[in-house]
Amino acid sequence: MVARKRLRWVGLVLIALGVSFAIAFPDSARQAATLPLLASFSLGRMAAAYLLALVFAIAYGTTMALSKRAAVVMLPLLDVLQSVPILGFFPAALVFFVATFQGHPAGLEIAVIFLIFTSMAWNMAFGVYESITTIPKDLEDAARVFALGDWLRFRRLVFPAMVPKLVYNSMLSWSNGWFFLVASEIFTAFGATYARPGLGAFIADRGDAGDVAGILIGVGVLAAVVLTLDALIWRPLSIWSERFRIDTTGTGQPVPRVSGVYERLAWLPRFTRLRQWLGSRVRPLMERYSRLATRFDRATSAHRQVMRAIRWIDLGMFLAIFVVVVGSGLAGLSTLLLKPLPAAAYTIPEATLRSFSRLALAYAVSLAWTIPAAVVIARNPRASRVLTPVIEVSASIPATALLPLILGFAIAIAPSQGTGTELAAFLIALFAMQWYLLFNLIAGVRAIPGDLDEAARAFGLRGLAYWRRLLVPAMIPSLLTGSITAWGAGWNALVVSEYIRFGGVRPYTVTGLGSLIDIATFDVPDSEVLLLSILTMVLVVLAMNKLLWRPLFKRAIKRYRLEG
Amino acid sequence: MAAPFLEVKHVSKSYFEAGKEFKVLETVGFELAERDFVCIVGPSGCGKSTLLRIIVGLDTPTAGSVRFEGKPLVPENPQVAMVFQSFALFPWLTVEQNVELGLEARHDPPERRHAQARKFIDAVGLAGFENAFPRELSGGMKQRVGIARALAVEPLLLCMDEPFSSLDALTAQSLRDEILQLWSTPDLPPKAVLMVTHSIEEAVYMADRVIVLSNRPGRVVAELEIDLPRPRNRKEPEFFGWVDEIYSLIV
Ligand SMILES: Nc1ncnc2c1ncn2[C@@H]1O[C@H](COP(=O)(O)OP(=O)(O)OP(=O)(O)O)[C@@H](O)[C@H]1O
Ligand SMILES: [Mg+2]
Repeated sequence: MVARKRLRWVGLVLIALGVSFAIAFPDSARQAATLPLLASFSLGRMAAAYLLALVFAIAYGTTMALSKRAAVVMLPLLDVLQSVPILGFFPAALVFFVATFQGHPAGLEIAVIFLIFTSMAWNMAFGVYESITTIPKDLEDAARVFALGDWLRFRRLVFPAMVPKLVYNSMLSWSNGWFFLVASEIFTAFGATYARPGLGAFIADRGDAGDVAGILIGVGVLAAVVLTLDALIWRPLSIWSERFRIDTTGTGQPVPRVSGVYERLAWLPRFTRLRQWLGSRVRPLMERYSRLATRFDRATSAHRQVMRAIRWIDLGMFLAIFVVVVGSGLAGLSTLLLKPLPAAAYTIPEATLRSFSRLALAYAVSLAWTIPAAVVIARNPRASRVLTPVIEVSASIPATALLPLILGFAIAIAPSQGTGTELAAFLIALFAMQWYLLFNLIAGVRAIPGDLDEAARAFGLRGLAYWRRLLVPAMIPSLLTGSITAWGAGWNALVVSEYIRFGGVRPYTVTGLGSLIDIATFDVPDSEVLLLSILTMVLVVLAMNKLLWRPLFKRAIKRYRLEG
Repeated sequence: MAAPFLEVKHVSKSYFEAGKEFKVLETVGFELAERDFVCIVGPSGCGKSTLLRIIVGLDTPTAGSVRFEGKPLVPENPQVAMVFQSFALFPWLTVEQNVELGLEARHDPPERRHAQARKFIDAVGLAGFENAFPRELSGGMKQRVGIARALAVEPLLLCMDEPFSSLDALTAQSLRDEILQLWSTPDLPPKAVLMVTHSIEEAVYMADRVIVLSNRPGRVVAELEIDLPRPRNRKEPEFFGWVDEIYSLIV
């Protein structure tokens, strides 16, 4: 009751603030009124891309896991796709879709959804593959002994086994997706600006107009949407997914029920009643689903041939796509290599080095603050209570949405425009990278078993020794996981951070691979330089993953794994 | 003469590693009649699990055959059910859903499934735990679920691979008695039980007949009729006599 009363006060204050804001800045208020609609457009794009990615990930991952022969080609392909900084292809893909649809909005819409899809799909497909290949053998045996048909086996064994990784990767995919959504809703090429109505376009547009209040409102609404989704969908889903974790050791531990998460939200007005109403609607649907599923099982086991045919068609489709992709890639490469290199190509090594140093600096700065911050947050309940909401809100804002603010800030404090742009490029990379590190590190510290910590303290481990013997080793695996993701995000950020177009004036650029790609697409269209730059980026990312992160990760897993 | 209930004929199994043959089972043969309770014992690694996997159709023999009621065994035979040493319960399904698994595979309508599952959950003494998840249960309770799941499909033959070896002694003993109880109740399945164990005492306590396998490659060394009256008493000298005899066969 007290909570409800306080809530009413908060509501009144918010409304009063809103009204006074509207009176003070009537223009921004008028803009803000359109935001719910814009937010729903953006959300719709995200949802469409996510559904596509989900279907793709399940189909691709399952096919790969069930057919060893298919995996031979599909696995490396996915590995490459995952390492490719998608934003590198982003300008080229946009141009392609716009040209194909001759500037029709539908083409743009497809381009945006396609790009978000590419930022969401690969890690999910990997998650599916890993989950299926690690299903314990005794469960497979039980499924065979009890004669589970194909479809029932999928429903009862294969799909549940992929739920934990699918949910975890979906959360990652959504935060990737927001980053790309904001970057792709608006862009300028060939002297024209193409935009689809949405939150990302709104923020970029306010940025062009130099309307700081407008930018802040846009960013605020975006953060609110992200956080709401998190509270209502992802948090409950990740608790629900606990149930699907396979661990053979657990005995006598309660399995968390999802309803608990929603009970925590019961202070929201009418929330409980709404939930009950939804529940009463959904339950009959579930029962009908169960009945239908049984009938479907019977039908599919009667038509095994059909099921097998579908699987072959599935496989055939993927192979066809593979052949087309690899074929066109090889064709492009061979024409490229047969011709003498264009002059601009010789700038690639320097650009790569510059981009790399920029990312390395951002990575170092991220590490410098996230390691102590993670320890404090994971260890100190009071700090966690104060800081977690702040960090969650900040992390919910994709770096691309902060672009205008960061650029404005950087130019304002820098002595010259050159250093200002350089600073902006660095800051955007920092914002794209740091959260992955922070969240992974917090999880790493939290995963230290209580008894290990107590033992360390009982033996008098303190200060530096405590860090060296317990904290750092415990953090290393999650540090590496975070680093891989952070660097991936960093490479992606290059295309938006090194070449920032603002209003009608010349773009702000710094030397780097990202700006090389942008310039070759928009300013001086040059497909050879474009292809070479993208290729360089892919090679660098693949090399880092294969030669640096994977070996480190393997060693870390061996040495520092916390068996508990 | 009617075909035997289960006939294992000249079953051999080899694995090939780097071109080298690795024999696990060599011409193993025996028969099972209805209402038989047979235990297979043998030293560790002699191929007991492999033999059972071949019998339920999870593995194929390199040579020989398994016939069930006179017909070659088809994999996924619904009349044969299995209880696993590791329980092999689906962690995301409740007790009731786990027990319904085989019924679902048979496309029983939901009402039938529920009724059948409840019957066997009651029979193994888990009434009230229908909606618990395996992770929330103790080891003994998990194995009860495994047994209920196997019995719910009303199999003619129940196969068990060291079902009690990961349980504590007390739980194992009470589950042994429950299995014997279920097996001797005429209107409940199964008709026959085939159990793999490495505990000779367990075999003598439970079986009508014990099949002793040799060291790898596994061959049938002896088939012994245990003619002790039931319920058996572990403290009787006859009981020890059987245990000692089997022990000397294995060593
Ligand atoms: N897939 C396989 N490939 C190669 N060798 C195998 C395979 N499965 C089992 N073996 C080998 O076959 C032998 C028999 O294995 P099996 O599990 O049947 O023995 P067991 O009698 O059940 O042993 P235990 O008492 O330890 O359970 C073992 O030496 C094992 O290493
Ligand atoms: Mg075994």
